[in-house]
Amino acid sequence: MVKSITIFTTTTCAYCLMVKKYLGAKGLQYEEVNLDENPERQQEALEASGALTVPVTVITKHDDSQEVVVGYNLAKLAPAVA
Amino acid sequence: MADTTNTPKHDVIIIGAGPAALSAAIYTTREDIDTLLFERAVPGGLAAVTDWVDNYPGFPEGIAGLELANNLQKQAERFGAVIELGEVLKIVDEGKWKRLETTSGDMLARAVLIATGSDYKKIGVPGEMEYYARGVHYCATCDGAFYRDKRIVVVGGGNSAVQESMFLTRFATHIDLLVRSTIKASEILQVELQKYVDEGKITVHLNVVTEEIVGEGSQVKKVIGKTGGRRVAYPTDGVFVFVGLKPNSEFLKDSSIELDHVHLVKSNENLQTTMKGVFVAGDIRSGATMQIASAAGEGATAALKIREYLEGHKHPIQN
Repeated sequence: MVKSITIFTTTTCAYCLMVKKYLGAKGLQYEEVNLDENPERQQEALEASGALTVPVTVITKHDDSQEVVVGYNLAKLAPAVA
Repeated sequence: MADTTNTPKHDVIIIGAGPAALSAAIYTTREDIDTLLFERAVPGGLAAVTDWVDNYPGFPEGIAGLELANNLQKQAERFGAVIELGEVLKIVDEGKWKRLETTSGDMLARAVLIATGSDYKKIGVPGEMEYYARGVHYCATCDGAFYRDKRIVVVGGGNSAVQESMFLTRFATHIDLLVRSTIKASEILQVELQKYVDEGKITVHLNVVTEEIVGEGSQVKKVIGKTGGRRVAYPTDGVFVFVGLKPNSEFLKDSSIELDHVHLVKSNENLQTTMKGVFVAGDIRSGATMQIASAAGEGATAALKIREYLEGHKHPIQN
């Protein structure tokens, strides 16, 4: 079960929009961290994903374990938020 | 022939959801032709990840690629187009039906439009895959923000390389643009580029063949290029690659749909491929001009040709 979802995005990123649309269509709440508006949180995104890219979706489960999905990757995102 | 009784059926399945596909869908759905689009990545295709589009008619000031893509999608959906996320793996000709093997199971269509477009090519040099998404990137609008106040190398000399270099100046302190031969971008982009060169934001290096991307640990440090027989190092924090397009036609390689020598789909004057009832439009078509406006026009043409084809091959859908 999903406890919380955080998505790291940038303003112009089309793949970020797709992740948001997907989660929205599933009725899932998420916190968005726009790295254009919050550049100080880039390191957080990098540490979570190991990549200098967005979108990065961090899914925290009820047992506080985390899954990180890099990019718009439905094959990983769908089971992670199921 | 496989049993078709329980397989989902559509009048038209459009493979892709870029400008050609969405334009076609606007035309087919407005005529009440049952249409399903199948997209494996982002609706809008490469247009959606392009910073700014200045040459699409009707937008005198230009338009953000993402906004144009969203508008096309909304317009198609307003008339009833449905976009399903997934991938088509194979097209099989079963006469009046075309069977599409997809990641969501098999589907049948009376007509198919291939509008899968292209993706950016890789350079194919050492270091490129090792630093993929950790210093080597193919989407400036996604990953440019990670290079605030840093140096960037952009590889390429076409419209995308020049356009995206200019976009990246909003983040980077300086950009080295490595061009294999000469700049191939449009005149207007070249004029625009010159302004950034004059301001010292971009340096253009012509006749440089990128040979290697070198890093230390997890960070890219430099790009090695060969010019005039010498190997030259370009120090950088990241590399953005725009060296041309690779057609998304892998799923057709074992079909009877004929491809040209660069794996683009061949078609006749009706945009019909060598498989009857299967049409093609946009960047994936052999002879395409790789422009968003052309893709949209071809999508509309293909839709009208599909309508003619369906009218000549009437048989009711029985789901």
